[in-house]
Amino acid sequence: MIDILLAGVGGQGTVLAAKLLASAAASKGWKVRTAETIGMAQRGGSVTSHVRMGCQGEAVFAPLLTPGTADLIVAFEPAEAARALPYLAPDGLLVTASSALQPVTAALSAQPYTAIAVLDDVRAALASQAPEAAFLVVEEAPILEKVGASRALNVVLLASALAQGRVPISIEELKEAVSACVKPRFVAMNLEAIDLACVSE
Amino acid sequence: MAQRLLMGNEAFAHGALEAGVRVVAGYPGTPSSELIETVAKLHGEGSAHGVHVEWSTNEKAALEVAAGASMAGARVLFTCKQVGLNVASDALLSLAYVGARGGCVLFVADDPGPISSQTEQDTRRFAAFAKVPVLDPSTPEEGFAMMKEAFELSERYGTPVIVRPTTRICHASTFFDVAEETHARPAPAEGFEKDPRWVIFPKRSFEAHGEINERLPRIASDPTFTRFTVVEEVPGEGERPTVAIVACGVSAAYGREALAALQRRAAEEGMELPPYRFIAVGSPYPFPADLMEQELEGIERVIVFEELDPVVEEELLKLAGARHLPYAVLGKLTGDAPDRGENASDVIRECLLRFFATESPDLASWAAALQPETLRFEGPLPVRPPVLCAGCPHRGSFYAVKRALKELSKQAERAGEPAVQAVLCGDIGCYTLGNAAPLDAVDTCLCMGAGITMAQGLAVVEPQKKHVAFVGDSTFFASALTGIANAVYNGHDVTFAILDNATTAMTGSQPHPGTGLTLMGERRAPIVIEGVLEALGVERIRIVDPLDTDASIEAARDCLAFAGPAAIIFRSPCIQIVAPEEPLSIDPVTCTGCKRCITQIGCPAIGFDGTVAFIDASLCVGCGLCVPVCPFGVIGAVGDGKGESA
Ligand code: SF4
Ligand code: SF4
Repeated sequence: MIDILLAGVGGQGTVLAAKLLASAAASKGWKVRTAETIGMAQRGGSVTSHVRMGCQGEAVFAPLLTPGTADLIVAFEPAEAARALPYLAPDGLLVTASSALQPVTAALSAQPYTAIAVLDDVRAALASQAPEAAFLVVEEAPILEKVGASRALNVVLLASALAQGRVPISIEELKEAVSACVKPRFVAMNLEAIDLACVSE
Repeated sequence: MAQRLLMGNEAFAHGALEAGVRVVAGYPGTPSSELIETVAKLHGEGSAHGVHVEWSTNEKAALEVAAGASMAGARVLFTCKQVGLNVASDALLSLAYVGARGGCVLFVADDPGPISSQTEQDTRRFAAFAKVPVLDPSTPEEGFAMMKEAFELSERYGTPVIVRPTTRICHASTFFDVAEETHARPAPAEGFEKDPRWVIFPKRSFEAHGEINERLPRIASDPTFTRFTVVEEVPGEGERPTVAIVACGVSAAYGREALAALQRRAAEEGMELPPYRFIAVGSPYPFPADLMEQELEGIERVIVFEELDPVVEEELLKLAGARHLPYAVLGKLTGDAPDRGENASDVIRECLLRFFATESPDLASWAAALQPETLRFEGPLPVRPPVLCAGCPHRGSFYAVKRALKELSKQAERAGEPAVQAVLCGDIGCYTLGNAAPLDAVDTCLCMGAGITMAQGLAVVEPQKKHVAFVGDSTFFASALTGIANAVYNGHDVTFAILDNATTAMTGSQPHPGTGLTLMGERRAPIVIEGVLEALGVERIRIVDPLDTDASIEAARDCLAFAGPAAIIFRSPCIQIVAPEEPLSIDPVTCTGCKRCITQIGCPAIGFDGTVAFIDASLCVGCGLCVPVCPFGVIGAVGDGKGESA
């Protein structure tokens, strides 16, 4: 069983990312379940997508994964990486974007929220509680600027995560999923973003 | 047949179409909306033949459309979210008596948590109250099968049938084999047949009540219904189980997951769980009492996992009492399962550990020693509640009304009068999010359309205050019209702020009567909100663009000052349905860091770096609302000399 959690902010594209993973897994003949946050939270709130893959033909019962079991967490934003931490398996991989999205609550408060501080705290938490876990901070901004579309964030993060080789889905399989699931006029841009993400790894 | 990755709601649409549904009507509401959208999409693509699909004005209208079509012999499907059934309940309670002819299925999605709803009400309870059968899927696949079976059951017994999934079933995706094309079942050639039974009338109701009382026990033991209650036995060494785990809906999936995890863990550590029987109840009402009595033979302790109300738990207690069965029932009522909110595999696992621990001292010490292995994050984290989108026109409407109230207040104070106080009644939709800081513009929110009428009650008791009711355009048509007529008729001094963004935004941009677009692809003349208000007798009506701050404040002042019901229509499209403009920026050199732009309107595209405010170009849609808010004029287009980024 491979359990993946996608954590982000409503509107960042976690839903499509889950679909890409599901489609890649299905093309390998695996059983898949995904679950989405749809509703109020999509308006800029914290959202998660759960992807569960029965990679050895085993049945997948529940749509949601359990804390402490995620083989991979892909966080679209540093604070969401921190929020998702309880889901990570002790030997899991946590991949996160490096740019913060400041919630209005943080802009209003006296204490500004910075990505660097939260990422440092995540790193420290992992070092002390899960020395076998892996942590990757993706520098997504230059890639997104190059392809000229902030909506490519999801494929940039997925490609960076898969390039680590911990989840047996290849970059080629991700690209096939992109061609199958993304609107035709956006396919080339997404494929370019994947290539750039792999190069910068 | 084609294999497709489908969300539960999409699959249920396919299921209903494969069952030959002819008329589909509903009102949007999370987590139910995607079903109708899928039917409309398949109809639009030309693969769903012969189906009529519509967003009705509200749930009551939808269920009545469906009831009429069923009486003409067509298979019909009604959809809504749990609280939507409250609106349709008048029709439902009578429909159970009058009965269905063509298969009549009500798809009602519950929302444990709640994640996007006003209440944690339980539609299984509602089904029992209305005396109609209800099916409760534990997986999207089971829901797909239930959708088809529900039409059969409905026709066999002449009753409406409810299929009630929960959010995690509606919004979970997996692969399905679905038909490439579907054809609606033609209604019988004889058409609607006149019959006294279609007319609800006291004498007929008494008879119908008897028919209902007679058919419910038959349904409770009909295998087409009870086949959705599934029993599994996990044997120990030759022993018969004395404990049972009963789970309903998605809790059955979590229960299976939790049990598998515990079995694995126990095996690793040389422990053995006691033998148990696992019963997934997918047919909760009418309760399959005979089947359950049989399956609980020899059982001494039962634990029940279900979300929302203890429906099955109470049925088991009733069964034990009625038939003198010797089992004890643990669950919500005894504090052995969570009393509200969503269940989850890890929550059920903890409950099961406690449940098994009492079986033997070995198990008790093993369970006590098991530590949950989850990482903790202890650093500070910003909370991230949902907010109005960057550039949402509602932000301008709330801002204008608040500014107008402030100006009226200042004016009054200058004249030596007391400051103007106001109560802002909110309603259901994206604009409920106007409650968050810094807008803080929602003082009440009850149910669809309630702000319109609650403001009137407040105005009776507190005539010295201003009373403003905010209502969206879709909610306006769904449930504000009677309230507005009430204000005119009874002469209430209130101001209606109608937020017309040309869509039903919160549930994912569905059309409504004010847009003129229909799901059948025809474009009709939109129903014009100002025309409706005028016809209802509202004497002061102003129409403004909420992104034009000065005009909006002036219109709001005018309507607030008007004695009697007045309406401001704030008209500007939802940013989800229009292309964004170029983002603006804040000049970091001249920004004084006063934070006015943040504390006044709270657009999520504006952040603060500790010294100056900045605009996140990936979020800003260039609506311009923040420009006049800045007292130093440093917000502007990139390159116009104002909002020059460094
Ligand atoms: S123009 Fe101002 S208020 Fe409008 S979206 Fe951009 S930052 Fe927000
Ligand atoms: S979806 Fe539309 S109505 Fe809802 S918050 Fe966003 S812009 Fe406003």
